[in-house]
Amino acid sequence: MKNGTIISVAGPLVVAKGMEDAAVRDICRVGDLGLIGEIIQIRGDEASLQVYEETSMVGPGEPVVITGEPLSVELGPGMVANMFDGIQRPLDSFLEKTGGNYLERGVVVEPLDREKEWEFTAVAQVGDTVEAGDIIGTVQETPVIEHRIMVAPGVKGVVKNIASGVYKVTDTLYSLETAKGEQSFDMIQRWPVRKGRPFKRKLGTEEVLLTGQRVIDTMFPVAKGGTASVPGPFGAGKTVVQHQIAKWANVDLVVYVGCGERGNEMTEVIDEFPKLIDPNTGKSIMDRTILIANTSNMPVAAREASIYTGIAIAEYFRDMGYSVAIMADSTSRWAEALREISGRLEEMPGDEGYPAYLGSRLADYYERAGRVITLGNGEEREGSVTAIGAVSPPGGDTSEPVTQNTLSVVKVYWGLDSSLSQRRHFPAINWLSSYSLDSELLNNYVGQQLNVDWEQMVNHTRNLLQQEAELQEIVRLVGVESLPETDRLTLLISSMIRESYLQQNAYDDVDTYTSLKKQYDMLDIILSFEAKSLDAMNLGAYFEDIVKDTAVLREKIGRMKYIPEDKPESFEEIRQETEKSIQHVLEKEVYK
Amino acid sequence: MSHKIAVVGDKDSVLAFKMIGFEVFFASDANEARRVVDNLAREEYGIIFLTEQLGAQISETLERYDELVTPAVILIPNHTGTNNFGKERFADIVERAVGIKIM
Repeated sequence: MKNGTIISVAGPLVVAKGMEDAAVRDICRVGDLGLIGEIIQIRGDEASLQVYEETSMVGPGEPVVITGEPLSVELGPGMVANMFDGIQRPLDSFLEKTGGNYLERGVVVEPLDREKEWEFTAVAQVGDTVEAGDIIGTVQETPVIEHRIMVAPGVKGVVKNIASGVYKVTDTLYSLETAKGEQSFDMIQRWPVRKGRPFKRKLGTEEVLLTGQRVIDTMFPVAKGGTASVPGPFGAGKTVVQHQIAKWANVDLVVYVGCGERGNEMTEVIDEFPKLIDPNTGKSIMDRTILIANTSNMPVAAREASIYTGIAIAEYFRDMGYSVAIMADSTSRWAEALREISGRLEEMPGDEGYPAYLGSRLADYYERAGRVITLGNGEEREGSVTAIGAVSPPGGDTSEPVTQNTLSVVKVYWGLDSSLSQRRHFPAINWLSSYSLDSELLNNYVGQQLNVDWEQMVNHTRNLLQQEAELQEIVRLVGVESLPETDRLTLLISSMIRESYLQQNAYDDVDTYTSLKKQYDMLDIILSFEAKSLDAMNLGAYFEDIVKDTAVLREKIGRMKYIPEDKPESFEEIRQETEKSIQHVLEKEVYK
Repeated sequence: MSHKIAVVGDKDSVLAFKMIGFEVFFASDANEARRVVDNLAREEYGIIFLTEQLGAQISETLERYDELVTPAVILIPNHTGTNNFGKERFADIVERAVGIKIM
């Protein structure tokens, strides 16, 4: 293929002439340094490229080598527990190669470790007819992830050669007799990141993605295969929410894309995750995590690619039949990268300078989430990708384009509130403005699992919080004394729900994760406290007396979040005590 | 819908009300007064006259009925005279209603 010549350089945007052989989205090697760039626009023989690396000291006249391939990821064993940059260069090998703490330019690093040997167990046999998506064999990649080597999309044939054994990723693993003759394959599949991987058919969402976070699981659950967004101003705790979900979600694999955020936050992940134990598997959480880091000081164009890299990897594991969650923190930085490139391309700006196609790009990304039946013959495999994106609207103003465009495509909205975080209420998810379009379906599902009327409990909780907000308005005007006793009880119960239930300490060893059973116990105790108090008040008890006599009990209820998962009998004790305390109020002399 | 009128207080003060046909209930201490008033409220009495001296001891109960339409608990002096509790409460209520102190 003919090479082009650079004619202008403007930040990450390079224009080259003599590019008539190239096509949009081709990857090129730019300049003498061989920087990685992608063609985003072609006019005649002039092509504009976004370069994924810093372009200083690159000048006109230098060559542009067209590779003729779109930006792709290498999919194969060796990704899990690893950390990559936005275009899938593993950062630890990068460090080894360059010896520097910061990215150097033009360095070529293989995404997957070429030297590492994997124990391969063949599943398919010689003579089997296999097609795209069929599992050829497996590799135990980490203690929890069995990497299933699949036939790449578009390939079909009869297995001619296959054997279990120890292989490197580039060794010939099997060969197929295809329509085009015999072809041999290794463990690696290459896939263009901007294209969704094919599947057999899409399914509706039904199973809940449990995060161990009470406000999320109870009030605003997200489905496996669903989409959620976490908009919030600076310091409201977006990253902590994302980290918490990455740590405790009941998925098989988590892809965490740190997109334009602080490097320290990624360091925190690397420091912390290996020490944490996944409650679902009992193994280290790092064994099911893939990190993609494009911190704020890394090149802008690679940030644009990083979330596609992430979701392509997520889809690959989905195709194996896993449920995968992908976190993007934050999509605002990604949108800003789009804006920067778009501005340099002199495109017509839309709202707040974002390109007009911002909405469709966001939709492209979120629509790649979903629960699907994967390709492949035989037993149907079900996999899902759940996409959770943080959005950082400047000034916390959610009417800006990124948030609005995100909300039009996601089904769950966890709105973080700076006033809550200032009051030290974490997670600062606002229970009035957040929503989950799946909550009815998922609460039903949870109810069936727990065998209780969960939906009714959750709705009642929601009503209480709603009523509280209305009552607070009145209290602000005329004071709490002018409220009837039943309303004062509502205020008391809703404050208990807020402080004892919704508030959750991510840094406490016990409180950081709450199982569904414990969530039920906790909510049930609070709601039955309400029901019993109401009964007592109907029998003539004064609200004041209930408040006075249940102070100790309410403190215990306030501390029940710190009851370890393996001590369910403590909840039974609190239940009995509730009964006793209320009984005690009614036994007072005045009521005889 | 018709409501009954009750008078609650110490014997000396309220007995005379019996002559005009009100129902009279005796109470000598706070607990007793509270119980009587609560019971009357439940039995749908519309107006309860209560002596100031007792009312001062059960302000929680009074507050409770402030927020309800019925019964209206109205404070009256007892046979030893007034201690201004009733008047002060009334002044408070008026102040809250109209926004300024006019009494």
